[in-house]
Amino acid sequence: MTDNAKSVTIIMIEDDEGHARLIEKNIRRAGVNNAILPFSNGTEALAYLFGADASGEVSKSRSLLILLDLNLPDMTGIEILEKVKSNPHTKRTPVVVLTTTDDAREIQRCYDLGANVYITKPVNYESFAHAIRQLGLFFSVMQVPETT
Amino acid sequence: MPISRGSFILSTLILLALGLFALAAVVVSNVWLVQRTQDLVTEVQQIRRLRAATVDLRSLLQDAETGQRGYLLTSDEAYLAPFRQAVERLGTQVETFTRAADADPVASRLAPSLVTTAQTKVAELQRTIDMAQAGQVQAAVEEVRTDRGKELMDEARAAFRDIIEEVETRLQSINARQASSADALWWVSVVGGLFVLAVTIAGMATIFVYLRQIAQTRQEIEELNASLEERVRERTSELGRANEEIQRFAYIVTHDLRAPLVNIMGFTSELEQSVATLQGFVDRHDGDENTTDLEAVRLAAREDLPEALGFIRSSTRKMDGLINAILKLSREGRRALKPERIDLKALLAASAAAVQHQVSEADGEIAIDVRVPNLVADKLSLEQIIGNLLDNAVKYRRRGVPLRISIRATSRPGGLVDIAVEDNGRGIDAQDHERVFELFRRSGQQDQAGEGIGLAHVRTLARNLGGDISLNSTFGQGSVFTLSVPAHPRAVARSVAA
Repeated sequence: MTDNAKSVTIIMIEDDEGHARLIEKNIRRAGVNNAILPFSNGTEALAYLFGADASGEVSKSRSLLILLDLNLPDMTGIEILEKVKSNPHTKRTPVVVLTTTDDAREIQRCYDLGANVYITKPVNYESFAHAIRQLGLFFSVMQVPETT
Repeated sequence: MPISRGSFILSTLILLALGLFALAAVVVSNVWLVQRTQDLVTEVQQIRRLRAATVDLRSLLQDAETGQRGYLLTSDEAYLAPFRQAVERLGTQVETFTRAADADPVASRLAPSLVTTAQTKVAELQRTIDMAQAGQVQAAVEEVRTDRGKELMDEARAAFRDIIEEVETRLQSINARQASSADALWWVSVVGGLFVLAVTIAGMATIFVYLRQIAQTRQEIEELNASLEERVRERTSELGRANEEIQRFAYIVTHDLRAPLVNIMGFTSELEQSVATLQGFVDRHDGDENTTDLEAVRLAAREDLPEALGFIRSSTRKMDGLINAILKLSREGRRALKPERIDLKALLAASAAAVQHQVSEADGEIAIDVRVPNLVADKLSLEQIIGNLLDNAVKYRRRGVPLRISIRATSRPGGLVDIAVEDNGRGIDAQDHERVFELFRRSGQQDQAGEGIGLAHVRTLARNLGGDISLNSTFGQGSVFTLSVPAHPRAVARSVAA
């Protein structure tokens, strides 16, 4: 996010508003100033990512980074991950899975589907905050391709 | 008609007794009847002898008389032959007759006078013959003409007739009795035989019915057995599913509980930062004039808020610990076991080495005694169990007493291996022996940090291995925790599959 740092938008799909707020605060503390677009359910997030026609055309020439929780009220994050990684316009968009589940099979499945990073939310807040800050630092040095 | 075991034995016994009784009755009456027939035969023989003796005696007397008459008529000595023979045989014949007559009441009454008459008659005959031989034939004929001889002979004939009549009567009555006893024999044999036959048939029918019932019952039992095994299998898999569900449930619940907890802890943290900011502000305005408002803000920032936050923190931390414990247990239950051959001695030595530092500090020692040929189990589970038990032994030692820990592994019949971890620590009160294995429960003096998870975890691990753990402890003297696990993982594999 160094060169096109300003243009990358972080899409945060997280149903727990408290978590969303804490994540945002801690990312900001790491010095990341990119726009953060929060979605509290899968349907709205999909509508934003793939447009009303669900083709994904809308995401063309957007620079996105997706922060994804797996436990959503209307669908599982895995479904969203699958759609993102199979759509030609969004398949290069980095997806960071940030969730409470630490089940080995679940982690494997996410990577199989093309997830770029899988992070388990630490239970204890200090570790949680720390992990998010590290993630923020990571964001600040990573390159995000522009979608085609 | 179903026959119970008791009634079968009773009815069979009764039938058997009846049959035996009937048979005995038949035999006894037969013996008695045969005996009676034999008695009658003996009697008949006696009577025949009497009859023959009577008839012989009579013809003897007639022979003697015939000889005398012939001689008197002809004076020819040749006619005397029958007389001489008769006289010669008279003695024995009389004796035979008297003996035979003894058996008969009528004959024995008549016999003495008859014998006397016969002897008198023979004496009279002899006298006339003697007279004739002496040449006095006329005198002898005169003597005959006196009719004394004839009277004697008539008397004798009457007696002979009486005896023979009596004999005939008796023979007839004996014949009748023989016929009746033969009849009785026939009836007894036929009726008894029929009865025995009936009893035997009844007994056989009972046995047959009972045997058929037994066969039927056995078939039913076999069917039941088969269905029982099927049901056990069903129940086992049901239990397995239920267990899995509970573990999934625990896992899901703890995850869902964790999400709000992270929020509480997160925002508590945020609040703390805000409070720090507030405190800084209050501190900077410490010198300002004391208004009531400022005083209240100062109190809130310095005391009330930190206190409230402290309670929230400690509570959330505790809840966090509890949720983690449940999560750990549920995760342990879901973990796939990897049975492998284990060098138990090395495993125990490694576990002991892990706590060696603390044991040495307590001036203690660990003795290991392994008498188990081989053991196949999940290594990680065993390590965790032994590690937990050793940690507890060190943690709950008695102050001022050198710590002694002994680990013994022995084989037990039934393919089980017992691993006993014994310590000389503070021990556990008898009422808490079961409780210490429950989640979040602790026993004794609460002077050590801990959440009451260790032994619950150990028990879960032990049961996952297809075994169990038991406790034997005396308060104030020490505890023995005995882990029993199957030496081979077949049972374990089954429980995992279920």
